[in-house]
Amino acid sequence: MSGPARDNPRSISPIFWLLFGAGGMVSALFGPALILITGLLAPTGTGIPESFLSYDHALAFARNPIGKLVLLAVIALFFWHGAERLFLTLKDMKAGPSLVLKLGTYGVAAAVTLATIGLLLAIGF
Amino acid sequence: MNESRPYRRPQPGNWWAKPPYRAYTARELSGVAVAIYGGVLFAGLVSLARGPENWAGYVGFLKSPTSLALHVLLLAAVVYHVITWFQTLPKTMPKLIVNGEAVPAKKITGLATLLAGATSLALVLVVLGVTR
Repeated sequence: MSGPARDNPRSISPIFWLLFGAGGMVSALFGPALILITGLLAPTGTGIPESFLSYDHALAFARNPIGKLVLLAVIALFFWHGAERLFLTLKDMKAGPSLVLKLGTYGVAAAVTLATIGLLLAIGF
Repeated sequence: MNESRPYRRPQPGNWWAKPPYRAYTARELSGVAVAIYGGVLFAGLVSLARGPENWAGYVGFLKSPTSLALHVLLLAAVVYHVITWFQTLPKTMPKLIVNGEAVPAKKITGLATLLAGATSLALVLVVLGVTR
């Protein structure tokens, strides 16, 4: 018996796969609603008052522990989801050396995840 | 000299833009739209951390026609992502057995897509209700 798992028992690809799956599921369940709310309804004031996008309102949301968790989960998982798909597609297109593609996809997702944690901590509680 | 010359089927460089691979490419890139929306939220978080003036600039961007057009495109791409995500779900999950019979893939896809529509609709309604 042979296969990727047997040849490389310490592969970390299951972690990437898990993050990809989690991001895919969260975006499938709530993605359209999130884009509709923050990108279309709130900016145009359709059904949602002007105060929704006020600095105080946004700051209160980002300072709330649950708000922080939501922001981290959505931003990080969405990036990991896109990274996995973009990496595999570019790999199939033979768009460049594997390391470059990994840095440009997983690398970006990792950097954004760390930056999001940093920003959420800097914003305070 | 190596006499072995294995046959390699020629494949044009733009195979991914042609059917039947085009559907695959579109599905994968709809996942990238998910990340782009993550980037929009991330930009908002950066602006928020920098202070009220920076945040006002971000809200100004959200209200611009460019941003509204971008979000319409993102919404379309993510709806496509939702549909294709649940089309692949029966292939990636263990076989679902109910009353000794495997649930057909189409039924799983249909029910899951309906559930996703319901969760998204519920979130919109909750936000509309809470902010009223």
